[in-house]
Amino acid sequence: MLDPTISAAATASLEAVINKALQYDPATRRRLQALAGKSLALEASEPRLVLCVHFDSDRVRIGSHIDNPTTCLRGSLSGLLQLATSERVNLADSQVEAWGNTALLADIKTIARDLDLDWEEAINDWLGDVLGHQLAEQLRCRMDWLKARGQSGKRLLGEFLTEELRAVPAAAELRTFSDQVDQLRLAADRLEARLQRLRQHWPSNNPPV
Amino acid sequence: MSEKKTTHFGFQEVPVDEKAGRVADVFHSVAGKYDLMNDLMSGGIHRLWKRFTIELSGVRRGHKVLDIAGGTGDLSYKFSKLVGPEGLVVLADINESMLRVGRDRLTDRGVAGNLVVSQADAQYLPFPDNTFDCITIAFGLRNVTDKDLALRSMLRVLKPGGRLLVLEFSKPQSDLLSKAYDTYSFRVLPFMGKLVTNDADSYAYLAESIRMHPDQATLKQMMEDAGFANCDYHNMTGGIVALHKGIKP
Repeated sequence: MLDPTISAAATASLEAVINKALQYDPATRRRLQALAGKSLALEASEPRLVLCVHFDSDRVRIGSHIDNPTTCLRGSLSGLLQLATSERVNLADSQVEAWGNTALLADIKTIARDLDLDWEEAINDWLGDVLGHQLAEQLRCRMDWLKARGQSGKRLLGEFLTEELRAVPAAAELRTFSDQVDQLRLAADRLEARLQRLRQHWPSNNPPV
Repeated sequence: MSEKKTTHFGFQEVPVDEKAGRVADVFHSVAGKYDLMNDLMSGGIHRLWKRFTIELSGVRRGHKVLDIAGGTGDLSYKFSKLVGPEGLVVLADINESMLRVGRDRLTDRGVAGNLVVSQADAQYLPFPDNTFDCITIAFGLRNVTDKDLALRSMLRVLKPGGRLLVLEFSKPQSDLLSKAYDTYSFRVLPFMGKLVTNDADSYAYLAESIRMHPDQATLKQMMEDAGFANCDYHNMTGGIVALHKGIKP
């Protein structure tokens, strides 16, 4: 368990960053007002970490202790991180358990998906409108370039691994293989059902040789 | 002829009825620069200790909170935000100078409506039984003359189910930290006090009073003896400070 001084420092920093960021997204701030008074506790095992988020009308409070949270999510750290970063909206096969009001999770997910920080405004506050806008334009340009390179790089790496190196199967091959495995499993299930039925028809004191 | 009862004032033994006066002199002397010195002495970490105290308080809208030895009002400010206009925070301190600094500071920060300031002795709290949902005493209990009497007084004014949080210096858990802490307390603190407030004696008293304060287990036992249930404590910064929690059954 972390020394409370360290956890308090970490949660205080996180709280400051989140509330600062929310200043630049009035729409999200307005949506968060609907969650005022509600709280979410995230309890990770291995390593044991607890993070509590309490929604106030004008800000978010982060801590490591909370009494009776509205919703509590418990699971491994990797499971919780996966859930937070993925697009999934249910907990099936996630190794995460939810307690309390799960509608809050859906609300938070929707709000997080629609998050749209006006980071240009943040730069303007720091550098002034003229310089800030120019820097933001440059950054936007670089980001677009990086995004495009990232996408094409991902595609090229995939093609290299499957077509040139033959290190991994192509998606289509994998799909066909999965279909064949499914067919085989279904056929095996059918065969087992038939054998079962045959055993039932056979007299129990005279088993088949 | 019976001998006069004595108690600790730092490392000195003083008559019981003198301690309050001497402690008052210390705080009259440091009140003006109390916050500055807290930040300097702890490197700002006292804010994290207080933050954790607020987290553990479980205070929410509508609650009544008593902040004993509230001094310059750090905790009261946060509590006044948490309890909202329908709640109440009582900032109590035995020392007039500290209370005046705290009241002015809270007024300057716009806290009004749900805050009451009260000059009160922790041993004889001037409130009806079963009044508060939460009581905090941060860095104050070691200055109280009769700690058991104060704990019983706090129990009386708490509502059943209400919680007491005692934030106080305690015993470091490692020998190495303990040695470093001793050097810091007895050499650096009085020097710092001399430099900033021109009052080395008050900060020497601070270091001495910390050493004379009961350790974690003893204070927990004292809370249980006073009648608190589910008593527990959290060591912070290696045990330099501990936060004790007890519930009124």
